[in-house]
Amino acid sequence: MTATLLTPEQVRERFLTKFGSGIRDSRISERREGKKKNPHYTIWFDLDRELLRPAIETLIGIRFPHLSVIGANDLGDSIRLVYIFSVQYGEVKSEYMVTIAITLPKSDLTVPTISDLIPGAVFGEREKQEFLGIKVLGIPDNRRLFLPEDFPDGVYPWRKDDTGIPPAMVKDLWASKRPVDRPVPVVEIKEECEMGAGPDKESGQTKKEGS
Amino acid sequence: MVPVGDDNNPRAGGGLRMKLNSAFNRSLWVYHFNSGSCNGCEIEIVATITPRYDPERFGIKLVGSPRHADVMLVTGPVVHKMKDRLLRVYSQMPDPKLVMCIGACGISGGVFYDSYNLDGPVDEVIPVDVYVPGCPPRPEAIVHGVVTALAKLERLQGVKA
Amino acid sequence: MASDGKKAPYTLQIGPIHPSLKEPVMFTFEMDGEQVRSVDFAPGQTHRGIEWMGMRRNPVQIVHLTDRICGICGIVHTLAFSLAVEQIAEIQVPERADYIRVILHEFERIQSHLLWAGVAAHELGFDSLLHLTWRVREQAMDVIENLTGNRVNYGIVQVGGVRRDIVPEQYKIIEDCLSTYEGLLTKLLNLFLDDTTIAMRCRDTGVLTRKEAIELCTVGPTSRASGVNMDLRQDYPYAAYGDLDVRAVLPEPHMGETHGDVYDRIVVRLFEVGQSCQIIRQCLSEMPSGPYTAEEKPAKILAICKKATGEAIGRVEAPRGECLHYVRMDGKESPTSWKVKASSYSNLMSWIPMLKDEQIADIPIIVASIDPCLSCTDRVAIVRNGEKSILTKEDLTRLSVEKTRRLQR
Repeated sequence: MTATLLTPEQVRERFLTKFGSGIRDSRISERREGKKKNPHYTIWFDLDRELLRPAIETLIGIRFPHLSVIGANDLGDSIRLVYIFSVQYGEVKSEYMVTIAITLPKSDLTVPTISDLIPGAVFGEREKQEFLGIKVLGIPDNRRLFLPEDFPDGVYPWRKDDTGIPPAMVKDLWASKRPVDRPVPVVEIKEECEMGAGPDKESGQTKKEGS
Repeated sequence: MVPVGDDNNPRAGGGLRMKLNSAFNRSLWVYHFNSGSCNGCEIEIVATITPRYDPERFGIKLVGSPRHADVMLVTGPVVHKMKDRLLRVYSQMPDPKLVMCIGACGISGGVFYDSYNLDGPVDEVIPVDVYVPGCPPRPEAIVHGVVTALAKLERLQGVKA
Repeated sequence: MASDGKKAPYTLQIGPIHPSLKEPVMFTFEMDGEQVRSVDFAPGQTHRGIEWMGMRRNPVQIVHLTDRICGICGIVHTLAFSLAVEQIAEIQVPERADYIRVILHEFERIQSHLLWAGVAAHELGFDSLLHLTWRVREQAMDVIENLTGNRVNYGIVQVGGVRRDIVPEQYKIIEDCLSTYEGLLTKLLNLFLDDTTIAMRCRDTGVLTRKEAIELCTVGPTSRASGVNMDLRQDYPYAAYGDLDVRAVLPEPHMGETHGDVYDRIVVRLFEVGQSCQIIRQCLSEMPSGPYTAEEKPAKILAICKKATGEAIGRVEAPRGECLHYVRMDGKESPTSWKVKASSYSNLMSWIPMLKDEQIADIPIIVASIDPCLSCTDRVAIVRNGEKSILTKEDLTRLSVEKTRRLQR
């Protein structure tokens, strides 16, 4: 474990020098909160699929990262997987996030597994398999994670195209047994709260929009 | 804060003592079934057992098996995987039995009104006797719900006897 | 029953358990007599499709949905989501709102740890400790109700700030609660840590080594008890933590060495209660004045969010670990992608090395020691030579209690 602390810029430089053209995009975003406005940083990388494992190995070389979660976007004709890591935990105010995003075309939805490098990734990979329909090559455990066994095959809840959830599967719970001929009840005007701690108000649109 | 056990205040468990004496010989065993809730109602149910509200002095206790129970508390919108189990557990309870539905999720779906994995409010799966609304309902509300349930059972027993 | 000395290996199935944050787990143990050889588990019993529902609503509505992802962690999901959306929409949260968020965050941590302490005591057979800690917890619930209006599901964080202010009349109530807790802390520490039976049951049970904790990506008190120095409030300060100088609570300074077992997890959580009291006090004394939200009218917040594009990560330190929300918005009303990672999601994998070679009677306390949001086992099915017999949670807890009595003799 190295004792030197790297700044986000140095980490970004290391990746750029090592992978060069394979990196399609990289940026650092910063956020400051509280009275003293301490910054915290996030480094975002967009890579090719083949560079996923070498990139993670580089990250492990800097310091063993903590894989938080694998997020996913459905961009129409491709799916973008976002691997979110955090490095340098344990150093006061010096942890930052490193995000490695790879894009998979929908014609070829395969991605190599990283569970031999980071055993804790198995959960995330199983979840992506069932929610997006991608195939993780070399995964040690191929079963469904969250969805029930009788969930229809070929339906992937997070996709925005035709393999998403069809409206027939969505059940409107509020409408069950609701009488259709009753008028809407009158909403009373509430009194002002004496403590003065804040206005007593409804939060804008609370009814569901047309789905 | 409402003092608990005040006999004139039905919300706080007063009156519970009298009802329990007649219907159940002073004891009521409650089984709790979680059909996929967020745990908020669970916490309030367990908080009802604690010394502040203390229903154990009335003989109400939580049991671990539906075969020993008189009342079943159901929380949560019924997740698809749990629907089957809910039906099985309901059939394992011996008569006379009561079902109480705790929390807004079980009554109408609550915030989860348009999900693909939920099988409807609880009364589409099993018949429900008492509804306790709230998200989550306060322990006092749950106690009031139990009192109402007992009153209902009194009525039913009266008809049968 | 399970303890009649059968030597042939058999399979033990436990579940579906009381739901953890998102997913209750169905276990299958490979047993050899009384010892567990290997563990397998399958979650999914509380999958309500929250992320999918969220992608059809706008951020102002999602804030109310996130409150109900988990009931014990009242504020963490809402806070993480708001942090992410505020980063995308570039809303600057006023400082007073940051401090109010921290105060409620720490109160939630106090009540969650006290809840867990009671549940752990119940799993060991000490029902009187369960009732004691939950009665003590009620005072924190009263304060939370006074500040937010509800005991669970606070509904106080909105994108851009908080929905209610803390007025000076409420400071006294908070101060009373804090002094009571600080006085009680020594008593609680004595009850839990100096008790010989708890030490016998928990020392060297359910051990998770430091290497395993890092590799399996565990978070929160589970990893801190194994010696991993990881606390978001110290490393990646959000809200007002950057001003407050918080340090991770590790078992070593208090106990002398790190074992990584259930006892260390109790130590970490109880000392965190004391730390939270100090943090709240510091916040109250340093509370800045000013507005408590960046934008009061929800319709205007919605208008700002509709124009926002980008992706961001909101992370907070929940009582159970790191809670992370990844949000991506593309200028439409609903987020394009939303991923929720509850802290128990990362911690569940740690059950596998922890439960290896442990006894059946230790299963409840080990499973509860990573705090999977209420204790777990619901039904137990034992398959032996093809016959099935169903045990219930009562029986499993009874086995655990019997072991305590045996040790006490």
